[in-house]
Amino acid sequence: MPMMNGEQRTWLHGCISVLLGLCLLWTMTASQPIKYAALDVVNTVLYYPEKPFMELRMLLKFSSNWVLERASLNERVSQLELENRLLSEALQKASVKVPPQKAFYVPALVTLRYPEEWWQELRINKGLKDGVREGAAVTSEGSLIGRVVRLGDHYAWVELITSSSFLLAAAVDETRDLGVINGDGMGNLRLLYIPPEKVLKHGMNISTSLINDHIPPGLKIGTIIGEDELKDGYIPRRVRSNAHMTQLYNVEVFSAAAGGENR
Amino acid sequence: MIALVVVWLLQDFFQVFTMGILIAPNVFLMSVIFMALKPRGEFENFGVFIWAAFLGGLVWDLRWTNLPGLTAAVNSAMTAAACIIWRKMPVQGRSVALFTIMTSVSMVVSGLVHFLFWTMPSQAALRQLAVQQLTGVPVIAVISLIFWRVSDRHV
Repeated sequence: MPMMNGEQRTWLHGCISVLLGLCLLWTMTASQPIKYAALDVVNTVLYYPEKPFMELRMLLKFSSNWVLERASLNERVSQLELENRLLSEALQKASVKVPPQKAFYVPALVTLRYPEEWWQELRINKGLKDGVREGAAVTSEGSLIGRVVRLGDHYAWVELITSSSFLLAAAVDETRDLGVINGDGMGNLRLLYIPPEKVLKHGMNISTSLINDHIPPGLKIGTIIGEDELKDGYIPRRVRSNAHMTQLYNVEVFSAAAGGENR
Repeated sequence: MIALVVVWLLQDFFQVFTMGILIAPNVFLMSVIFMALKPRGEFENFGVFIWAAFLGGLVWDLRWTNLPGLTAAVNSAMTAAACIIWRKMPVQGRSVALFTIMTSVSMVVSGLVHFLFWTMPSQAALRQLAVQQLTGVPVIAVISLIFWRVSDRHV
């Protein structure tokens, strides 16, 4: 068999590498555990060399947004203080003993959001060692944006509410009707399984209902903005998220008291 | 090869720094093509560069694209195509202009292939693609200038 010349070798290397790349793509798409194991290895290795640049980026971003954020945060703090005082007064009047605070929010930064998985998931820089637990609610400015689905010591992956696989029990604040919030993978939200005879108006608020220790009830999700056609015996309601789902940089992870388990 | 690792890391750091604002142009691919085609008197085995492009693309996929193998396949295909075209071209035709055309085409094809897999809203995706391609223009200009200087020195 004659030896291959340089051009034939180049063809051979090119074809084999492209085929290998496509095989890897197919394999990793078919086998999510392998893909995530490989992703985590690479992300863990690159964590330390990238850290200074990540910090610098955050520093610049915080500097540029400081004035705007401060104004909006002050407004929010005032609003929450007022709500807190009213609730305390109501509890005192009802002679209900206020239990000690058992939950808190862990502030986190978004470190990765794939364009290919824009509405599906993102990664944050807090993990197990920071008190984050699987299933925990993740919020942005007080509104639910997703829940933790996988985590390592110093990072966690968050499934967004806009993901097509996201299903979460939710309640309509004004009527207390219960349904399920579901994304479509394209940035839209629907409230499912509300019977068609229930009258829900545009502008009604949706929030989480009591699910488990990791997702508190009453967390804002969004507002009803319309309805679809009758499907399988119910009318899916279109919901607009209260959070800016395209501008997620700083988020908070709900953390129940240590030792809290799913109910 | 160390130079390619450095370029890959620089592209990675740039992407970390600009995450959420823009998508880094594939400078690594352009650098691989540059390293493969820069004049050295005789052709080396291009296979090394094709596999370097593949490995760099694979690690990039695992860090940034969530589609492991896609950038690897695109990188190696573009490098192999550039090497084959370069080898087939008569010596007079192996110019800086041809190099610039090939790196430009590589950048556009690489960007477009990823664009097809994005799920973000089409307007935002188009804007990201346009910004990515525009940020690649000065990179192509610089890399072509270096190629011209290297070619000139070699003649």
